[in-house]
Amino acid sequence: MSILINDLTVTFKNNVTAIDHGNLEIPKGIFGLLGENGAGKTTLMRVLTTVLAPDSGTVSLDGISYEEKNYGKIQKRIGYLPQEIDLYPGLTLQECLEYMGALSEIPKEKCRERIEYYLDKTGLMEHRKKKMKQLSGGMKRRVGLIQALLSEPEFLIVDEPTTGLDPEERIRIRNLLVDFSENRTVLFSTHVVEDLAATCNRLAVMKKGSFLYAGSMRGLMEKAKGHVWICEVKDEEEARGLERKYTVSSKQYVKDGMRIKVISEEKPETPCTATDAALEDAYIYITNQGNFEE
Amino acid sequence: MMIKEMKICLPLYKMVYAIFFTVILSIIRGVFYSYEVGIALEAPMAMLAAVFCADTYTREITAKRWEIWRLYSEKSRLSAIFRRLKIQEGFLLVLSAAGYGMFFLFQKPCSLLGIKEGAGNEAQLFFMYMAAMAVTLHFFGILSHTLSCLFRNMWAGIGCCMVLWIVADSVLGDRIFGKWNLFSYTFRNVEDCGDMGWLWGKLLCACLCILMLAALPLLLKRQRA
Repeated sequence: MSILINDLTVTFKNNVTAIDHGNLEIPKGIFGLLGENGAGKTTLMRVLTTVLAPDSGTVSLDGISYEEKNYGKIQKRIGYLPQEIDLYPGLTLQECLEYMGALSEIPKEKCRERIEYYLDKTGLMEHRKKKMKQLSGGMKRRVGLIQALLSEPEFLIVDEPTTGLDPEERIRIRNLLVDFSENRTVLFSTHVVEDLAATCNRLAVMKKGSFLYAGSMRGLMEKAKGHVWICEVKDEEEARGLERKYTVSSKQYVKDGMRIKVISEEKPETPCTATDAALEDAYIYITNQGNFEE
Repeated sequence: MMIKEMKICLPLYKMVYAIFFTVILSIIRGVFYSYEVGIALEAPMAMLAAVFCADTYTREITAKRWEIWRLYSEKSRLSAIFRRLKIQEGFLLVLSAAGYGMFFLFQKPCSLLGIKEGAGNEAQLFFMYMAAMAVTLHFFGILSHTLSCLFRNMWAGIGCCMVLWIVADSVLGDRIFGKWNLFSYTFRNVEDCGDMGWLWGKLLCACLCILMLAALPLLLKRQRA
């Protein structure tokens, strides 16, 4: 299954252009969507779930065009975890998933089996009899993810699924998404770079409604190659001077002063050595340099 | 499914305020004759239905679940909404019957049975009241739900219902709409139990209910932001 987005534009009533003539191909597997808050990630996902109709451009899912007459067919193939969701507080976790499974028209027995499987996979089995309102934010997030997986959709769209999760839970969810993505398409939106580094091979970077990059993870890092530098400075004062001139992706105190990671098109004037770009560095490089096409 | 739906659309706070409202009404709204009990209950219970049913679907919007709901089939969505309406209106109908009893319990109204010709007997009055209430509750429940869906806001739905309620339940409303008034049962000739002219108003309510229910799929489709 692949999703093709061609010249997509979405403008809100207040004339804010959330997506500006975007082109993208989302292939099978996990596809990452990276961007700062307000970049247009959620808008893109709302278009893909048929919640929002674009102003212009086309979208197709496995050749099925996003048109009113095809929405039924498309919606059947999609699972969605929105950024914010408050699941039925008066129901227990088990009841909540059974209810949402029934709305998805999953046969009762199959639904129970799947709930069992995903509760086990997400570490929620022991909490199944707790009411939704008694669960922590991280647990609710996991339940939200299970409801999206329950119908075993061919195209899964998850908007920041790891928000509010502790490191162990995050790893569990990332692994679950990787397992799920076999023979399916998963669109994984986040602004947590390390989540994508751990799960995706391909990704798109968005900024202010435009795709700055779309392609392989390696390709993105290649773009930043030769633009990441490690500078050793003596004190805070010197570090501040560097920060004023360049984009600094990290800094830490070391024995003899401070070590600063600088992202710059050219070698900084301060003594420094070139270093390999991590995904985070590449993301900062791309979002600060303007549009790049693979 | 029905039990889960009950837990969703009939939370404790809703049941408590509805019961409280009915008990208070049966204590403070004075009646002298038994035929006045139905009149005392119809309009207030209609407003209660409007408030009670306004969040039937909008609760999905406020809890930000509506984007997921959009992925369910139209049949699933409509079935869930109809189930919720059925449960809420069923509860209100039972409460209306209990409210009728409460008036007798707290105020012990006089019966015209055997005193005035054509006044009907108590059972006849009660069944007439229940039939009228079933339609009234159904109408105001569906109306407030429909308007809330239209505006995507339950308060807008309740507000519009309140305007209609004030107009219909007034002398002016009685003059304008006559036997077609939404509260035709309240404005009927109470001294003649055989007068069934009020059925016209209820027939109008029933027809409007059918129209609103038929429009529901369209309303749900236009939920796209």
